[in-house]
Amino acid sequence: MKKGYGRKEFIINILSLVLLVILWHVLITLARNDIFNAPFIRLKDVPTPLETMNAFAGSLFAQTYGPALTYGIVDHVQASLERVIQGGIIAFIIGVPTGIGVGYSKLISNILNPVIEIVRNMPPMAWIPLAIFIFVAGGSIFIVFIGMVFPIILNTVHGVRSTDVRLIDAAKTLGASEAQVVTKVVIPTAFPSIIAGLRIGLGVGWMAIVAAEMVIRSPVGLGYFIWNMGDLGRYAEMVAGMLVIGVVGYIMNITILLLQKRFIRWVD
Amino acid sequence: MGRLVLKNVSRRFNGVIAISDLNLELKDGEFMCLLGPSGCGKTTLLRLVAGLDAPTEGELFLDGKKIEGVNKECGFVFQEYVLFPWRTVKGNIEFGPEVRMDGKEEREKIAQHYIDLVGLRGFEDHYPHELSGGMKQRVGIARAYANDPKLLLMDEPFGALDAQTRNLMQTELLRIWETEHISALFVTHSVDEAVYLSDRVVVMSARPGTVKEIFRNDLPRPRVRTSQEANALRDAILRSLGAEIKRAQSK
Amino acid sequence: MRNSLKILSVIIFAALIAGCIEPEPAVKSPEPVNLVKMSGQEMIQRLGTGDIAGFIMWEPYPAIAITRGYGKALLFSKDIWEDHPCCVVAYDYDWYKKTENADEILKRMALVQLKSVEYINNAKSLSSPDHEDLINFTMEFGGITDRAAANLSLGDVEFVYALNIQGAETFIGRIRDFGIFDLTKWNQSGYKDAKDYAGSLINSSYVEWAVQNREASLKAVALRQPVDIRYAYLINDIHELPFYVAWKKGWYKDAGINITLAEGTPFQNGAFEMQKGFKASAVDIGSLGIPPVIIHRINSNDFTTDDARVEVIAGMNNEGSVIVVANDVKSLKDLTGKTVGYPGQGTIQHVLFLMAAEKEGLKVVT
Repeated sequence: MKKGYGRKEFIINILSLVLLVILWHVLITLARNDIFNAPFIRLKDVPTPLETMNAFAGSLFAQTYGPALTYGIVDHVQASLERVIQGGIIAFIIGVPTGIGVGYSKLISNILNPVIEIVRNMPPMAWIPLAIFIFVAGGSIFIVFIGMVFPIILNTVHGVRSTDVRLIDAAKTLGASEAQVVTKVVIPTAFPSIIAGLRIGLGVGWMAIVAAEMVIRSPVGLGYFIWNMGDLGRYAEMVAGMLVIGVVGYIMNITILLLQKRFIRWVD
Repeated sequence: MGRLVLKNVSRRFNGVIAISDLNLELKDGEFMCLLGPSGCGKTTLLRLVAGLDAPTEGELFLDGKKIEGVNKECGFVFQEYVLFPWRTVKGNIEFGPEVRMDGKEEREKIAQHYIDLVGLRGFEDHYPHELSGGMKQRVGIARAYANDPKLLLMDEPFGALDAQTRNLMQTELLRIWETEHISALFVTHSVDEAVYLSDRVVVMSARPGTVKEIFRNDLPRPRVRTSQEANALRDAILRSLGAEIKRAQSK
Repeated sequence: MRNSLKILSVIIFAALIAGCIEPEPAVKSPEPVNLVKMSGQEMIQRLGTGDIAGFIMWEPYPAIAITRGYGKALLFSKDIWEDHPCCVVAYDYDWYKKTENADEILKRMALVQLKSVEYINNAKSLSSPDHEDLINFTMEFGGITDRAAANLSLGDVEFVYALNIQGAETFIGRIRDFGIFDLTKWNQSGYKDAKDYAGSLINSSYVEWAVQNREASLKAVALRQPVDIRYAYLINDIHELPFYVAWKKGWYKDAGINITLAEGTPFQNGAFEMQKGFKASAVDIGSLGIPPVIIHRINSNDFTTDDARVEVIAGMNNEGSVIVVANDVKSLKDLTGKTVGYPGQGTIQHVLFLMAAEKEGLKVVT
């Protein structure tokens, strides 16, 4: 296992982030003092990093104003994550067996391929209007499911199809039945691909949930939060929410990569 | 136990004749090497015996029983090891007993026995990618043995190893084979290897493959690779093989 | 492999359990009412299917839902706050600064408004010869297909041209109480208190001129040089009927004002009209709810250029919003733990619902 990430890389990464924040600050400050104005963009309305940080700190937890309760960013993150996990579990339970079937059996592949090929080209966002009207509850979870299930299916299919036929031969000569070939050879071979599919799917699902929450009605969720803050002209909170979406997405990705490294030790 | 009989076996692939009317008998407990030019159907022959492929014509018998479907009585050792990369050394060796539904204790006993036999004690929990080529093939051999086969099929098992390791592994194989005496059908490209290992050497003809000539090899074990008798046998085999290689190339 | 599969299944199982457990509400007792943003069409549909327990919305949506039998009126906005101001006519300060005769234009706008409101108030009476026309205008502008709904919705709205400074002040105070202002921005604005802000927001001089000239015909006081005004209004909001009637009847033209619709008109809500219309200088004059004006002149404003500064010159209506609930809901308390539709953060309906909830001691999540 080659490790290309050390102290030096870490410092470069941090520096680049710091530089980006400085650039952000300078750009907005210049725009606000009418020294530099970008065409077509009202840069001066964008909050500075400091304003964004203050807004983030100020809206991190739930607050009460008389009769009005506002959820904090932590509540919104929790709600969005729960939807992604719920949608993800359904996508996993349906996607992996489907992928194995399509990858392993020509018949299943021929039956399901047309459906998969058409439906997977319908982006999760395109389902939102329909989901609004046909789902009494769980519309946003459905959107996540649509976003996640195809990366999982396709990666599973890929993993299954990349099974070394010699491994199947070896298993057969060692006495494995057809079912055992699937459970003991095909699935383990596809496992890293399945996890990769899950990772890609989570990325898509995360984006989809945020989009879905902007339209599908629930009082809590990051997408809803951003939209609400936009309605109130509170751009700093809005940008803070956007950054939280990015950071949470990044953390999810890293978490799965780490789990992958920890549990899939046979791949070098 | 482990008597293999091939009767008028042919195998065609889309009109190409790989094996034509091949007759061969492997005696119980015999170590037989197969030599032949590239593409003469050696690997096809092994796959037919293993039941991974079916003959177009003819029949194969193991201990009088016709081979139909995957032959679970033979252990296959592959050239590129073909270990399960997600299983440890122990996990690979346990695969056969596991799919045969042996109990956990029984499995572990068998696995430990063969781990010891092939000299991998201390490496039980290593993954294949952590092992050298020679060690991987020890796992391959142990995995085949752990299934208690009547016949060992080996397809150039040492072809990917460097010369020194290869010599060492040949000696090791003989040691193991002598401990657990079963018939072995061993495909190789190396005449040296064939002379060092086998009881009989079969030279196959260029495609369509069939038996061209069979050499007896009664040299007493342990054999000395450079003895006069070994050299004489090697010369004879090389001449027979050389003619076939020329034929194959001129096609 | 075994182990990793085992661990993975444990993780999946854990996630499954976590997924099935409902999120702990941030505040548990008493259970809050959930206000959820949606369009008026959606409110009607969802109330009909039972997805929501009620909604608070401007007319005609309440009247449509009620005449279809989907629900009943629980509270009219006058029950929450009698004579509360609602929609107003406002102009963009940037436009004002660069327009030489802006004051003259605004005076005529106010006069047209006055005449239109008086016309509507007369025509509301069934005996009025104009009643039929008014119903038609209402149905056209409100997107209403049912005459009964049009009649019902007209009855809930009190059309006014006069300004209600006191009411604006109250709104400013409540908006502050409910945590809707961006406090940093509020501090930047420099307003001492609600009264100070209301005074700066509202300019009564145009309505005063209009009252003095109420007897004059529009053509008599028309601008000598006709001007083009980019006007904005809200979608299907019959609160803004005085504009629609005057426009259709050609009264603006009579006064020398050519109305063109500003880009983005009709807007989905006041927040959009403020941010994409007034702030972006795409709108010269427009009608919208007074809370979005109050909120965005603070929250969305760049105080170095005052780009979101708008000033209010005339009223449109008072009241005119209704809390409609499913037929089995008896009081506001029955809405706890349920979902209620509203048109969005910072709308008049948002503020009104919070006020109603406050009276009942309920909590509301938005």
